[in-house]
Amino acid sequence: MSTHQEHPVAGTTTWDRLRDPSEKTLGVMLLAPAFLLLALIVVYPIGKLIWNSFFDLRLSGGGEARFVGLENYALVLRDADFWNAAGNTVLIVLITVPAALVVGMGLALLANLPFKRQWPVRLALLLPWALPLAFAGLIFAWFFHSEHGVVNDVLRRLGGNEPQMWLLRPNWAFAAICLTIVWKTSSFMALILLAGLQMIPKSLYEAAEVDGATKWQQFWQITIPMLMPSIIVALIFRTITALQTFDIPYTMTKGGPGNSTETLAMLIHKTTIDYLDVGYGSTLAVCMFVLSLLVTGFYLKHIGKNA
Amino acid sequence: MKSIFEGPALRLIAAAIVVVNGFFPAVWILLTSLKTETELVSKPITYLPDNATLANYVQAFTSQPLLKYLGNSFIVAMASTVFSLLIASLAAYAIARLNLKRRQLILTCIIASSMFPLVTLLVPIFETMRTLNLLNTYTALVLPYVVLNLPVCTLVLVGFFQSIPKDLENAAMIDGCTRMGALWRVVVPLAAPGVFTAGILAFVNAWDEFLLALSLNSNPNFRTLPVGISLYQGEFSFPWPVISAALVVAIVPIAVLIALFQERVVGGLTQGGLKG
Amino acid sequence: MKRRQSMITAALSTLALVAGLGASTLTHAQSTTLRVFSGSGGSQRPDLMRKLYDQFQAKNPGVTVEVELGGATSELQRQYLSTVLNAKDPSIDIYLIDIVNPAQYYGARWLEPLDAYLGKPADVMKPYLPVYATSNVIDGKIAAMPGFADAMFMYYRKDLLDKHGVKEPATWDELAAAAAKVQKAEGNPNLQGLSIQGAPIEGAVCTFLLPYWSQGKEFNDAGGKLTLDKPAAVKGLKQWLAMVDQGVIKKNVAEVKTGDTVNEFKAGQVLFAINWGFAWDRFKDDPDSTVKGKVGVMPLPTTAGGRGATCVGGWQWAVSAFSRNKAIAAKLVQHLSSPEASKFLAAEGSLLPTYQSVYTDPDVVKAVPWFKNAAEVVVAGRSRPQSKDYGQVSDVIRTTTSAVLARTKTPEEGAAEIESRLTRVMR
Repeated sequence: MSTHQEHPVAGTTTWDRLRDPSEKTLGVMLLAPAFLLLALIVVYPIGKLIWNSFFDLRLSGGGEARFVGLENYALVLRDADFWNAAGNTVLIVLITVPAALVVGMGLALLANLPFKRQWPVRLALLLPWALPLAFAGLIFAWFFHSEHGVVNDVLRRLGGNEPQMWLLRPNWAFAAICLTIVWKTSSFMALILLAGLQMIPKSLYEAAEVDGATKWQQFWQITIPMLMPSIIVALIFRTITALQTFDIPYTMTKGGPGNSTETLAMLIHKTTIDYLDVGYGSTLAVCMFVLSLLVTGFYLKHIGKNA
Repeated sequence: MKSIFEGPALRLIAAAIVVVNGFFPAVWILLTSLKTETELVSKPITYLPDNATLANYVQAFTSQPLLKYLGNSFIVAMASTVFSLLIASLAAYAIARLNLKRRQLILTCIIASSMFPLVTLLVPIFETMRTLNLLNTYTALVLPYVVLNLPVCTLVLVGFFQSIPKDLENAAMIDGCTRMGALWRVVVPLAAPGVFTAGILAFVNAWDEFLLALSLNSNPNFRTLPVGISLYQGEFSFPWPVISAALVVAIVPIAVLIALFQERVVGGLTQGGLKG
Repeated sequence: MKRRQSMITAALSTLALVAGLGASTLTHAQSTTLRVFSGSGGSQRPDLMRKLYDQFQAKNPGVTVEVELGGATSELQRQYLSTVLNAKDPSIDIYLIDIVNPAQYYGARWLEPLDAYLGKPADVMKPYLPVYATSNVIDGKIAAMPGFADAMFMYYRKDLLDKHGVKEPATWDELAAAAAKVQKAEGNPNLQGLSIQGAPIEGAVCTFLLPYWSQGKEFNDAGGKLTLDKPAAVKGLKQWLAMVDQGVIKKNVAEVKTGDTVNEFKAGQVLFAINWGFAWDRFKDDPDSTVKGKVGVMPLPTTAGGRGATCVGGWQWAVSAFSRNKAIAAKLVQHLSSPEASKFLAAEGSLLPTYQSVYTDPDVVKAVPWFKNAAEVVVAGRSRPQSKDYGQVSDVIRTTTSAVLARTKTPEEGAAEIESRLTRVMR
């Protein structure tokens, strides 16, 4: 492995170390830019966040911080709104992550086909990406509008007499939100999977053909295993983003009706910006972080092991 | 790769589904941009505009410096993409190739920064930028965007780097390349689809971002597109036609970019190198 | 040796201090820039305000007024301000804020009390309409100065009422009956009897309060404590739901936002509409309005035996507690809330005045004839609950009201929820 052991090492001056560094030095050099940037931008905010979570800090009262230790965390555990939001968030993760994966996989496979003209399919694949998230939510909210929306118009033309008020019924509103999220994010998944598909050597499939494997068998025994790293990456990020779902429900229903479609990120936004309760908002954010860590923890172990 | 979809007819249907799925909202926005606001509440709803008008585009461009916003978004997105890829490549190489002891911890640290909702980090980031006197500059947005994109880009690149056999690098190093040389001349080109994927992800994330752009760059000269588009609203009005026109203007450059680069992302650049 | 060194140091520092003081007073006399935060959404009329700023600049050479447009909707502005004020940013000197904000922002210590600059609250606030005087005086201090007023009016299709021989309703019951009659006679399935806002927006707070207030009930006492009369709240919510059942209000009322009411009225689909003052000009002047010349405006109906009440809105000028130019900023605020400014805004922009006298000013009446009717409505107007936690109060009321109108909660559940959540907050 270490070919540089064969190089004549004429002394170990700094210049020599820079030109042909040892693993450890190289590692530090390569990771330095990333960590420096992280230190500059997020270490202070995250630190302040964690610090604030131990205080009763409400700007509406004048902004004086009162140390309360773990009391905020105890409040969170007793907070019905928290559990409601957390439940909604977890549900969104459980629904949209697999759905986006499946749809994304389908889209990726399709985009990978040898069509005569590739660009319409590929552009269609990536176009949902070009639409800013908040506007995607607004547009779909309009599609689902009970009076002026396309969905109900099509249903009426097909003969339905009293179409649903989609966004005014908790379960349907939830479904509409999940649909929008899957629509928007399946492109993200498809993109990552597509790049992974391209890296699979054709030779593997050719060999399998020769051996008499069916297309289905080829899919499960070649494609999926070779795509596993890409799938894991896509899942990790889809999950982290799903846990932070904010824009789409916020623009579609504002968490309504009532708070049946309120997610954790929306609750945090409301607590921090509208209620000006910085202390409790920070506590909720730390809880969300812990949740994210737990959920993605076991994905991450898998990535680190691959060598 | 052989597909599991048999026959051209089924393929065409499937392709049609994908195309409709992707294009439908875009087409809807395009049609809306040609209508008037009152037409939008007409019953039954109209699909094609009754009297197509370009007035919305005129208003979109005259009531705000839309092109300037477009330019700002482009500069910020491009810069953050380039830097994200650079820094992420270095970090990903270290994680994928070097036998570092706390690899998992390092990766977790990088990804952990994306696990906090941005709204809670907003005020301290604002304070940092203010202290550094960077408010209302491109840098104010590029730095946080690189940080926001670092986790995705790093993870994507780690995956791709890991799937490239070490022999190729070793071959290059036996031929006299340094490790860094091997990284840029062998690994990155081979992981090109991954690099372009990470690049597009970073670009679109930066293009879309709203919260930081709203708070850090409120000066119209440095305002980005999503914030600009949100300003067409009034307290009580959401002029879909004008906003649709602005959205069309916002989407077209990205669509063009995607159309140009989709070959690179999806095209089989690596087929040659890895065959056999 | 040491003594000489310290003497030199002392001399130099004194010199520096004097020079510094001199320099700062010099620059102070030279130029100051005041930055005003104002939303860009049309309702704050940045174009007209610019003229007022120019007037001030002309009278105060050396002062430049710059504008910071923070967001088009009060939501986005709140987002922006939350960040900036949280960070104690001194870059903005003056804020144009909604009538519901002074209590909240003052409680957060973001606003500079203007007593020291303008005078005693009782004296300063006397010429203004009482509701604006009370909304802007928090804990006995002047938190903000009234800029311009707004209120919710009842707009209606005069032509349709005349056609079917219906007179203007004075109570909610009369309105429901009148609407039903006209709807039946017109036979147009798309004609709504009454359009109100049921989406979980700020306007929904008014949707809750209007029928509640018109029964003569109070939401909170002078000290800010919640005094919710649950049965009355239930009755108020049921009033709207009954109208939905009758077909007077459309079923998806919980999707209706302020702009929707305006657009639908303009398209000729609405008979009665509750909306803010800006709607009048939209009905009258918009090129795609089909109701030009057919619109009347009247005070809101009451509940039989109750009293008339409408929700007031409007925008106020406040000085930031972190501003570095408080004295000059206070002067600008005084200019912007002067009777002359009010007259200018009324005549040029149809913005409702906060001064009683301006409503009957002959120039204003000539320019905006409908203000004659408007005056009585605004004067009878009431403010939404004043609370330093208004963010939470508003959220609870509007979300619950919208849920009740969407029929995912019963009126009883809604009233109970409002009470349980707000008792803790408003005490």
